[in-house]
Amino acid sequence: MQTQQSRNIIVTENLGKSVKTSSGTLHILADINLQVASGESIAIAGESGSGKSTLISLLAGLDTPTIGTISLNGKSLTGMDEDGRAAMRNQLVGFVFQSFQLLQGLTALENVMLPLELRGDKNAKNAAISLLERVGLSERLTHTPRQLSGGEQQRVALARAFVSRPAILFADEPTGNLDSKTGAKVIELLFELNLENNATLILVTHDQTLANRCQRIIKLDAGRIV
Amino acid sequence: MKPFGLAVRLLWRDSRAGELTILFLALLIAVTSSTAIALFSDRLERTMTNQTAEFLAADMVISSHATIPESWLEKAKQLNLAQAQTAEFSSVLIENDELLLAGIKAASNLYPLRGFLKTTTSDYADETIEHKGPEPGFAWVEKRVLSALKLNVGGLIMVGEKKLVIGKIITYEPDKQGDIYSLSPRVIINKQDLQETGVIQPGSHVHYFFQFSGEQTQLAEFKRWVKPQLNLAQRIMDIHEDRPELGSALNRAERYLGLSSIVVIIISGVAIAMATRRYTERHLDATAILRCLGCKQNEVLWLFISQFLLLGLLTSALACGLGWFVQEMLFKLLRNLLPQSVANPGWLAIFFGMMTGMTILIGFALPPLLRLKKVSPARVLRRDLEPLPTSAWLVYGLAGGIVGILIWRYTEDLNMTVTIFCAGLVLLLVLGLLVYLMLMLAHRYLSSMPLNWRFGLQGLLRNSRATVSQILAFTITLVAMTLSFTVRSDLIENWHKQLPEHAPNHFALNIFPEQLPGLQTEFKDNGIENSQFFPVIRGRLTEINSVPVKKIVSKDSQGESATHRELSLTWTEKLPEDNKIIVGTWWSPEKKPEVSVEQKLAESLKINLGDKLLFVVGGQQLTATVSNIRSLQWDTMKPNFYMIFSPGTLESFPSTFLTSFYLPENKKTYLNQLVKHYPAITILEVDLILKQFKTILSQLTEAINYLLYFALMAGFTVLFSAIYSTLDNRIYESALLRTFGANRSLLRRTHIIEFALLGLVSGVLAVMISEALLFALYSKALHLDYAPTWYLWIALPLIGAFMVGLAGCWGVRRVVTSPPLRVLRES
Repeated sequence: MQTQQSRNIIVTENLGKSVKTSSGTLHILADINLQVASGESIAIAGESGSGKSTLISLLAGLDTPTIGTISLNGKSLTGMDEDGRAAMRNQLVGFVFQSFQLLQGLTALENVMLPLELRGDKNAKNAAISLLERVGLSERLTHTPRQLSGGEQQRVALARAFVSRPAILFADEPTGNLDSKTGAKVIELLFELNLENNATLILVTHDQTLANRCQRIIKLDAGRIV
Repeated sequence: MKPFGLAVRLLWRDSRAGELTILFLALLIAVTSSTAIALFSDRLERTMTNQTAEFLAADMVISSHATIPESWLEKAKQLNLAQAQTAEFSSVLIENDELLLAGIKAASNLYPLRGFLKTTTSDYADETIEHKGPEPGFAWVEKRVLSALKLNVGGLIMVGEKKLVIGKIITYEPDKQGDIYSLSPRVIINKQDLQETGVIQPGSHVHYFFQFSGEQTQLAEFKRWVKPQLNLAQRIMDIHEDRPELGSALNRAERYLGLSSIVVIIISGVAIAMATRRYTERHLDATAILRCLGCKQNEVLWLFISQFLLLGLLTSALACGLGWFVQEMLFKLLRNLLPQSVANPGWLAIFFGMMTGMTILIGFALPPLLRLKKVSPARVLRRDLEPLPTSAWLVYGLAGGIVGILIWRYTEDLNMTVTIFCAGLVLLLVLGLLVYLMLMLAHRYLSSMPLNWRFGLQGLLRNSRATVSQILAFTITLVAMTLSFTVRSDLIENWHKQLPEHAPNHFALNIFPEQLPGLQTEFKDNGIENSQFFPVIRGRLTEINSVPVKKIVSKDSQGESATHRELSLTWTEKLPEDNKIIVGTWWSPEKKPEVSVEQKLAESLKINLGDKLLFVVGGQQLTATVSNIRSLQWDTMKPNFYMIFSPGTLESFPSTFLTSFYLPENKKTYLNQLVKHYPAITILEVDLILKQFKTILSQLTEAINYLLYFALMAGFTVLFSAIYSTLDNRIYESALLRTFGANRSLLRRTHIIEFALLGLVSGVLAVMISEALLFALYSKALHLDYAPTWYLWIALPLIGAFMVGLAGCWGVRRVVTSPPLRVLRES
């Protein structure tokens, strides 16, 4: 059991999230039991409002569950305070978002440097340049997000996600804001980088084709795994 | 994480992206203004103190009727104080069969230690500034001496037994005292010649002035050391103790300067708070990403605080430099008005400016910034996750605390600070509630309004809490500017009232009753304006309610000095002009002996209404009941009395009369004619002193005008930047309206209505608060009469509507002129 647990980089038990509303308690997620092996790629699929974003935010330690436990890389997030979870994110996790979430005032290079700068890495600039070259944006280093197309912005976001060599990459609808052709290119790049980094991939999508590229699909409906 | 290095990099990146511009400008204005005002007022105060020191020709003077002990001079020498001496006495000069009673001043070589004399050699020659008196063998004389004795420059004049060459004509003498010796036509000689004149014999009536100047601390030590050793005939004179009329003018001016700096700080504080709020809102997403990337809550907060501190230090340093430049320009502008030697800028004032900057920044920016600590990292997935606002207690508590400290520093009165602060707080809360209710009311009638009014009002109603806080912010700014403007106008008007154009500049004393009708006619015939003729009887107050006065008075009090000498007593039917009854009533109908006592003397001698005062007048005793206590203005240059008796009380005693009159400079020779007609009358000329006083007041007036322009300029600039900091949402929403088909003119009208309403309501509230604060300020701090300013009720709402309307419409003009999609993408 111990061996199995150590190979699982993400483990959840009876995970649930509910909020109180004026008409009673609303269960957004319930009874989520998950084991994700290191290096595995998983797609979380489901309709809008099925609880995908809530699940990913719980798994990444961005939010806290109402019930149940989560452990990342063998460490339980339960009982960990926000600063502890932040430290965990910094060491373990990378993100790619639907809305790119680049800092508008920063150039592409500075956006990618940021996670390493937060770690105090002196080699931040070189590492960021090499990743931007890898995603094909070596000519766009000094451009701000406003000067980049949607696809280019998402490639910067990919570079930022992988520059800190995360063990787990969370991607929330990474092609949701892109046209299908650009989206396909970005996905291609995402899987390539994921393979190169041997990272665990948790991908939220409602696109069945994209979900099929992952090793496993977890389907959510009304907050439960079906 | 290495937070500081990262903070520097993020600060640089933010500044490059234009995120810090408004904050930078608000802080720059705040610190520039406060440094400039601190430096300016510090320099002005020291310059004015120096200049008023010129009135004494030294920083401190010991006046004495005999020479002072050698050990005192030795002590002054040990303390590195520069020393000079003058001896003043009256002497009759006889030349060309003409007689003249002149005031002789024998001055040592270093006289004057402060200020300068001005001389000329003829009517047509230019004036020369002299930093020392005549050399031995020479005499400098006032022009009246030459005309009265038919002498010329270069001729000889006999002072006692010593023949001296008339070197120059004195046109200005800094330390002209208001006494008989110095108000007679002046002759200055060198002290080395004094012995040879043979005028001073044992028992001669000579007034010695021992003058000292040097560092403030040394002077204070000398004063402390020498004061207990003074005898009754010796007196220390310095700016604080000797020129109360200037003291009060300077004091009010200083208070105004203090007020101006609070005004600018409050205005800037409001702008900084608004700019930081905008900064915080624009950094919510960035913070969420930082949190997502593993930044801890405190690290995020420290990252932003260190950016702000760094920004504060850099901006404050730059602003201190700018502040120094601004005050230097102010002094350049005022150079014709100010004394020739202006005090140097004080480093302490620059440090104060820097500290002010950092304090305002922390006080007003920290609370909105704290909100960033609470940003949830989950915001990266759900943008609607807004962090909870920072506790209102903290936001208003910190800013209020700083404003409170500033008010306390200004008023130096804790009770008053608490009163002003609590009253202001209650007023703001009540008015805030009022605005909120008004908005709710407007909401009810929204559907029946025309489209542009509806959109305009909806802009305000959409976030009514933000609207209320914006209105209150603009209100505070307008109040601050109004206070600055109104107080300045009334202060200057008050000074002009105090010294009107034709304020009396001469006193005539020792007028015998039989000369009165003739003198009155003579004044009338020569068109001379004179004040009331008061009878003067010399008398001494000896007992209060049968208790000897000496047992009542405390040492060194005003009462003590009043009971040591004879007082000038008078009687009059009517209350003299500028006198005000504080308690009691003017004379009762019973015609019993009554007396009116000046307020400060009454306080010092603990005299109350109904007390029985015993006076000794000409060897006879006289008892009078105190019927009222009265305040008066000592600085009006009109005859003033500590004790005024009811008619019928003093008539049986022999009296002379006293009056003051105005004599224009070109009629000065009339004095010779007057003295010839009435040789027994003593004329005191205070015109030069008055001229000096007027010059100082006009300098202060100009300085205060410039400060007002500065405060108004800062106010308007900050008002504009504050409006800019509220525009993001408005621009976004207007761009959305355009995408839905709203045309430009509709949007323009909507914007005008929205912003003008915001300014109009702020203006109305500002008038209400201003009037309340002005009332408190006038009655408690500035001691001026308060009258409501009706024009403010019209002007302020209009100015508010115009300024906020203009700034707002200018700020959102991009929405009207650029394609909406571009605006939305950039938002």
